[in-house]
Amino acid sequence: MDSWQLRIAVLVSIGRNPVSGAARPDRNDLLALELARKAGGELTILHAGDPNEPALADYLAYSAAPLEILPMPGGPDIVPPLAARLQGFHLILTGSRTEGGEASGMLPYALAKRLGLPIVAQALDLAVAEGQAEITQFLPKGQRRRITVRLPAIIAVHPMAPLTPRYSHLRRVSGQSVTLPAPASTEAASTAWRTEPARKPVVLQATEKKSGHARMAAAITSESKGGTLVTEGTPTEKALAILAYLRSHRLIEF
Amino acid sequence: MSGTRRINPRRPFRITPEGIRRIVLGEEGDAGEIALSPVAMASSKPLRLVGEATANLLVVAHSDRGALDAPAREAIAAAAILADPATPVLVLVLGDLAEDLGPFGADRILAVPECGNGAFLPDLEVSVLSDVIDRFQPRHVLMPDSPTGTGDLGRRAAAALDAEIATHVVELKTDSVACNRQGGTVLARRGLPRFILLDPGAIDAALPFRGAGKRLDYAAHAVAPGLYRDLGLKPVAGAALPLEEADFIVAAGNGVRDVPTVEAVADLFGAAIGASRVAVDDGRFPKDKQVGATGKTVQASVYMAIGISGAVQHLQGIRACRHVIAINSDASAPIARRADLTIVADAQAVMQALVSETARRNWPGDAADEARADG
Ligand SMILES: Cc1cc2nc3c(=O)[nH]c(=O)nc-3n(C[C@H](O)[C@H](O)[C@H](O)COP(=O)(O)OP(=O)(O)OC[C@H]3O[C@@H](n4cnc5c(N)ncnc54)[C@H](O)[C@@H]3O)c2cc1C
Repeated sequence: MDSWQLRIAVLVSIGRNPVSGAARPDRNDLLALELARKAGGELTILHAGDPNEPALADYLAYSAAPLEILPMPGGPDIVPPLAARLQGFHLILTGSRTEGGEASGMLPYALAKRLGLPIVAQALDLAVAEGQAEITQFLPKGQRRRITVRLPAIIAVHPMAPLTPRYSHLRRVSGQSVTLPAPASTEAASTAWRTEPARKPVVLQATEKKSGHARMAAAITSESKGGTLVTEGTPTEKALAILAYLRSHRLIEF
Repeated sequence: MSGTRRINPRRPFRITPEGIRRIVLGEEGDAGEIALSPVAMASSKPLRLVGEATANLLVVAHSDRGALDAPAREAIAAAAILADPATPVLVLVLGDLAEDLGPFGADRILAVPECGNGAFLPDLEVSVLSDVIDRFQPRHVLMPDSPTGTGDLGRRAAAALDAEIATHVVELKTDSVACNRQGGTVLARRGLPRFILLDPGAIDAALPFRGAGKRLDYAAHAVAPGLYRDLGLKPVAGAALPLEEADFIVAAGNGVRDVPTVEAVADLFGAAIGASRVAVDDGRFPKDKQVGATGKTVQASVYMAIGISGAVQHLQGIRACRHVIAINSDASAPIARRADLTIVADAQAVMQALVSETARRNWPGDAADEARADG
């Protein structure tokens, strides 16, 4: 393993303070950076976007790794140039969803497809050994799943990963960022989207063509969900009714 | 035998949806065993689908213990609302399926028990989904954008098929989808893409019609073992879990005085403990256990409300719960309208019966425990 050096790239985006709206390092991407630091190896931070964005330099404060910027202000699809730069890395880490920007959570999947790599999302923890990564994945309802995946691989970090990124002013002032040459030819990003001012979304509802009588009937009888009501029996019988309900819906195993 | 005819008071009986005890003559079974008959609500709703099928809309969802959760039902309802009368809603269920999806709006159903059921099989699921898309050529594929379930699968499949996708959709119309951008400060809209991943709450799942609910046969092709290996699940103990994450919650309200018994009931089910505001204000439970508008919003599969009246502020917190069981001395308490099962009784007696009934059962680990105790 001596000659083999684990090379990790962390993809970072520009986050957004939810209160002030100010640009800042993205919280989810900072977790990815912290997880990469924990895994050890040679780290590179990579951002595709505007090299003049002042918030970028703050990433330098969270690790001693070099920050590379692919100059791509607005417009073109960042997947092809990012994929080109990411050749040769063993691990590519990123947050699960950016705070600002498009926040579709598609980027790691699009990169995985382009690079032909496996992807595991919602990672809480990570350990690398013998060319494999072992990941603890977040599942709802208090479940955690352990997955191993062969490297190279892409891993997206869950927002609840138990990590604390540490800001260092010294690193912030002594760190360096490198602007890479602009990618030669780029594919245009999808133009299907149009933006409009934010408002409360309208919930999709089925329209019902009802007769006047039906509408009147609906108005005077409150819709009952048809739940079961158990009024009779001893407390034991009632307790059994609860257990029977739970069993019949496979909610308990005894 | 004596001359008097005796009737076994523990003959098998059922409890009807109206809560009436019915003795089933001639039926064998365990004394006192209760089989709840499913609520026989003869559906009076009309079928949505009429005429010959010309196209398909596909909905993909994972099942949990044979049933679909609220976001999955919303996705089915969304497809049923979008579909024209000649377009069937085809539902691909990853995992086993034990419920009728017709009332939720599904017309054709493919259940694939080889997938889902808690296992991480992305290669198999993408292959099944691609195969179903290939065979049925749906115009759109709708699924809940759940982080590790169909949210993961949908993104994988869209990337694999190089298809257009909209994720975290908060608004769906017959001709467009909209999502939040820039931290919710703008709304981005586009025409309906091939893949539509819906955020919870974007659709009202109540439908004035029903789907045909027909099961189709489907056999998944095996796929070669891929680059992933699933080492299994690691559950976190129910009591240690934050309420928002718990799958089973036993909650107590003003009708409950005896906190240790509540804890014993929660222990039975490996459940987390919740409380109403009154129970919290009285100091019986800490503030972080409060469920409701000014407390926590929970998403448990089972919410057992003991001695809780079901005020709107409380019900707000349990909107996403799948099964609500109420124990209340008042049959007309508002909680009874929300609950799937309401036990009208004194809470203390039923809680104690629950504890003693389950104590008498043979638990899987009991024999080992007893052996250890003996040795
Ligand atoms: C702005 C605002 C915010 C609020 N936010 C919340 C909130 O976040 N969460 C919340 O819970 N409440 C909230 N409330 C309070 C809410 O309106 C109710 O007052 C509260 O939920 C009632 O709690 P309860 O059901 O435990 O008590 P009660 O209303 O007193 O109901 C007790 C129930 O127990 C039953 N009962 C009594 N004795 C027994 C027995 N021996 N066996 C079985 N059943 C018995 C009774 O029939 C009754 O139904 C809020 C109110 C306001 C105004």
